[in-house]
Amino acid sequence: MTPLQFEQRYQPEWDELQSLLTRLPRVAPPALLGIPFAALRLHKPAPWWKKAPAQPVDGERIAALYRRACEQLALARARAYPGYLTDRLEQLTADAHQLIYQQVEFGLGRLKRLIAIDFPRAVRAHSAYAWIALAVFAVPTLVLGCLIYFRPELILSVVSGAEASEYERMYSTSAESIGRSRDAAGDWTMFGFYIRNNITIAFQCFAGGLFAGLGSLFYLAWNGAFSGAVGGYLTARGLGSTFYSFIVTHSAFELTAIVLAGAAGLRLGHALLMPGRRTRGHALVVAAKESTVIIYGVFVFLLVAAAIEGFWSSATWIPREMKYGVAALCWTGVISYLTLQGRSAR
Amino acid sequence: MAPDTLDTIVSAETPEGILLELRPAGLTARCYAFLIDGLIKVGVIYVLGILAAFAGGIGLGVGLILLFALEWLYPVIFELSRWAATPGKSALGLKVVMDNGLPVTPAASLTRNLLRFADFLPFLYGFAVASLLLRRDFKRLGDIAAATLVVYRPRPAAKIASSDIPPLAPALAISPADQAAIIALAARAPRLTGERLDELAALAASVSGDGGNSGPQVTRRVLGVAQWFLGRR
Repeated sequence: MTPLQFEQRYQPEWDELQSLLTRLPRVAPPALLGIPFAALRLHKPAPWWKKAPAQPVDGERIAALYRRACEQLALARARAYPGYLTDRLEQLTADAHQLIYQQVEFGLGRLKRLIAIDFPRAVRAHSAYAWIALAVFAVPTLVLGCLIYFRPELILSVVSGAEASEYERMYSTSAESIGRSRDAAGDWTMFGFYIRNNITIAFQCFAGGLFAGLGSLFYLAWNGAFSGAVGGYLTARGLGSTFYSFIVTHSAFELTAIVLAGAAGLRLGHALLMPGRRTRGHALVVAAKESTVIIYGVFVFLLVAAAIEGFWSSATWIPREMKYGVAALCWTGVISYLTLQGRSAR
Repeated sequence: MAPDTLDTIVSAETPEGILLELRPAGLTARCYAFLIDGLIKVGVIYVLGILAAFAGGIGLGVGLILLFALEWLYPVIFELSRWAATPGKSALGLKVVMDNGLPVTPAASLTRNLLRFADFLPFLYGFAVASLLLRRDFKRLGDIAAATLVVYRPRPAAKIASSDIPPLAPALAISPADQAAIIALAARAPRLTGERLDELAALAASVSGDGGNSGPQVTRRVLGVAQWFLGRR
């Protein structure tokens, strides 16, 4: 069979496949998640923001045409047919392959499942990493906190004198202090600032895992030491009550998120150091895939933390007792969410 | 297809047993894409800055949030869009795919963009550059962990113009691979100068029985054989 005959014979099939592919929505409705290919025929109504195709796409026909195109591509390659033919077939099969085997991870159902089941489960599945990350974060916090509480001048080895007095001013009880003289616009500014700052820290803790976990350990320990130093210093200066009532609520989400991001980073580093029966590259890919679930949750936690930090923690009209009460609720909620949520669901 | 060539083509095998060919994009193309994206982001930040200055305090807050979104979600949102690439990559004809040829998943896109932090170290994307230069498939650290590739969008090859050259029966039987080479020469003919085409055709002159000769007439005969191989009679 000459290339021209080949082309003439199969051209209609290729054109039909092409036109069917353009009619198939690129992101199929979430209902198709993981459903075998023939189920494309049970085309669920498209979501309201997407115009429904004029007529349902025949999945079986696409599958059949796709398989035939694959055979024809193999034939064309084996017979060394001219480039334009193999290129056309390559493009067609690649397009069809992308549509047929795409994984759909979007959708509200997926998000709901993530929050209700997947995230807390992933945290529990990685609990060893989480405990290590917690220790690496908390030990420097406590050590530096105590050290600087008893010898406040040591704060100068962590931050400069100007910064130290800036922290003192921020949490002082004078009118200039944080939350005393801020309006709504200030709240929004701080919300934006906290999001950027905290998410940067959390993502550093995660990405640092690529360096055999050392980066995660470093960022965890550094941020722990820093918070401990500031906390110890402010307590020593007698500003403890302002400071703790400010941080106690949002830290339920913020510190947890940073520790969990570090745990995800440690998972990456562990996969690189001890890949087990996989290659290092493959182990890393698997670890990254599993720990991304944690990162999704970290993201949500940090948004909540920034919102609380911007709008609640800084509000001075709220009595301290109430802040501590809400904080206790938040901490209980976060801990029981991570330890209990999603255990029974299947 | 052959693994031992200079090509950097990555082959991804589909369940149907065919190999999809992915052409990863190297350092230069990705640097340009990065610069274009950077300029776009700077432009947006500039406009946002002006608007925020007018809006005052609340504008600053919203601006910071948008800045954050731009920094972190810009690549993710564009990579999950139908272009599968940020505007910078699109401009250079690149797109992001999984290394098995499938569209990039949200998890993978998030991973590859979060791990930018690691790629950025020690300075100026040092690890990313080192990784790109060391690997055949031009993955940076984020790509390795997310199992993604930045590839060129395929461009369709030029179709052989059905020319006025009369088909000519070959003078000797040759293998399919050699037939393909002669057809490929015919496909390239419009893009070559006349003299170069004559030189190349002279190399293949034995198929039309003109071995050792060269010139426009020989070229015409060789291209005629190409038409024959294509199936014109």
